[in-house]
Amino acid sequence: MSDESTSNEFAIFVVKTTANQERSVANTMAQIARKEHFDIRAILVPDELKGYILVEAPDSGIVDLAIQNVAHARTVVKGQSSLEEVSHFLTPKPTVTGITEGAIIEVISGPFKGEKARVKRVDESHEEITVELFDAVIPIPITIRGDTVRVLKKEEKNA
Amino acid sequence: MSDQVCRECHRIVTGQTCPICGSSNLSSDWSGMVVIVDAERSAIAKKMGIDIPDKYALKVR
Repeated sequence: MSDESTSNEFAIFVVKTTANQERSVANTMAQIARKEHFDIRAILVPDELKGYILVEAPDSGIVDLAIQNVAHARTVVKGQSSLEEVSHFLTPKPTVTGITEGAIIEVISGPFKGEKARVKRVDESHEEITVELFDAVIPIPITIRGDTVRVLKKEEKNA
Repeated sequence: MSDQVCRECHRIVTGQTCPICGSSNLSSDWSGMVVIVDAERSAIAKKMGIDIPDKYALKVR
């Protein structure tokens, strides 16, 4: 954390919002910034951060002014962040990262919710995995989205 | 109807085609959003290679 920067520089400020209202707060703030000519340059709404949005601006006073009449925007979090600290939000990792063939997973949503299965194939480009359910009488491979599973055990040899 | 995202440029669009790149390859399965207000001076826009102020999705499936 550093001191407030000059007008040519910028920092990332964190605004606390009501949960699930991050996008509407960002849209309203952008409208206000354009209308009132506030020096807000970008607003980042990563899905991983619930209840917070990241605002790129030269100083926190501008962000403070911009959220004054925005519904669901609460406060500007004290301190500031740098682009390096938030750059990982700009390139989200594929959801299948960390899932390997042979891993034991649990399906957490959809018709197979709660079922345990072994990973047969990982399709990183489509973010899908092909699994075989443990409880199925006949092992039929099913393809499901990578974000609908939780890894229980990593890469295990076939029993 | 929920907003759709252009698979080519990641722009969040309301119609059936992307107004900038003209593509109709849209997706409703997207996550994360960035609103670029000042594309010329924004470091986030520079890092993402964006030069037109608009709303963009961070991830499109």
